[in-house]
Amino acid sequence: MKCSQMKKRFSDYLIGEIDDNTRKEIQKHVTACGSCREELESLSAIWTKLGVLPEEQPSNNVRKRFYTALEEYKQNLEHVKARPRLGQLMDGWFERLVPRRPVYQFSLALLFLVVGLAAGFLLHANWQSGGEIAQLRQEVSQIRQITAVSLLRQESLREQLREVGWTSGVDLPDEETLADFLRRVAADKTSDSGLAAINALFPQSPAIRQGLAQSLSERTSPVVEIALAFSQHVSKF
Amino acid sequence: MNKASDNQLMLQVRDGNVEKLAVLFERYHVMIYNFCLRLTGNRSISEDLVQDVFIRILKYRSSYQGQDKFTIWLYKIARNAHIDFLRKRKNVVSLEEHWDEAPTQEPSPPEQAEQGQEIARLSQALATLPVKKREVIILSRFQQLKYKEIAELMGCHIGTVKALIHRSVKELGKAYFELSGGIAS
Repeated sequence: MKCSQMKKRFSDYLIGEIDDNTRKEIQKHVTACGSCREELESLSAIWTKLGVLPEEQPSNNVRKRFYTALEEYKQNLEHVKARPRLGQLMDGWFERLVPRRPVYQFSLALLFLVVGLAAGFLLHANWQSGGEIAQLRQEVSQIRQITAVSLLRQESLREQLREVGWTSGVDLPDEETLADFLRRVAADKTSDSGLAAINALFPQSPAIRQGLAQSLSERTSPVVEIALAFSQHVSKF
Repeated sequence: MNKASDNQLMLQVRDGNVEKLAVLFERYHVMIYNFCLRLTGNRSISEDLVQDVFIRILKYRSSYQGQDKFTIWLYKIARNAHIDFLRKRKNVVSLEEHWDEAPTQEPSPPEQAEQGQEIARLSQALATLPVKKREVIILSRFQQLKYKEIAELMGCHIGTVKALIHRSVKELGKAYFELSGGIAS
């Protein structure tokens, strides 16, 4: 066996994890090989010398410190065990609320499901119907205003008088509708249109009445002047 | 009545019966102390490390699976405690600086004085080795672990352990003879 292979077994020789045949083989080799003998003797010498290092005993302080630490650890452990966790508290609470028998548990769950579905359906329906009504109201109001404007543009007095009926369905005509109406009154010089305008706008706000008075100020018909004066006089009361 | 095995005791500790650690402490605290003492060369630090090792056992008790031999698991914890100690002290004090004197011999005859010097030289020679080489000598020579156990503890192959022991002992011998004023072989 070569020296390099032999040296790989020197640690086995020192530790003693070696069978008798290998030990004899090493001893035979080092008897013949000076270099290997020198190395093995050196290793064995220091290995043997290490035996003089004594095993020491630690001070009593080590034991004292260990038992103090162990006692503290035990106390902490018991404290943690004694203190219920939030999860445990919640479990106990639910345990008292929920029935024990599976049949009742299932029934309760079903009841909650039905109640939940019904509540959801009703809430959804209310919300939807409320929205639809408001939308419809807005649409009706817009249609009335459009119709009033289109009727005012009619030439005949008859159609204009029909407009009065439409405007009564609108709480307050918007600025565009009112301006259009007053422009038409100012342009039509007949006494009938003036009277119709007074009749239509009589119950409206003071601002509208003032606008109407300006539109009819150039009329020469005594009937219109009397009607206008009468409407202004009544509004003061 | 049979003594409970280390493994049985540690499994009880793992499962919450932490008082059983006292039995394991009494069995092994001297062994761990000497392992640490030969690594650090300092009694006070070694006592602190023993304390640290057993506190770590409590802290990590739930990780014990009982697959390893208990002493192997214990040495793993001790090695980690020592490595952490070295990291903390790296920039504070070198190993040589905290190395204690060998145990003092009370008014001693010449033979005992000579033995005291021998112990001091060996301790100093050990201190010159890198940690891994020091560990492998201590584990194989003093703690009397087998190749297989050392390999398991260090996480390497048996062949690597054998080669490491060979190199470490050779280096230790060289350091020892240099300290003795002799010629290195």
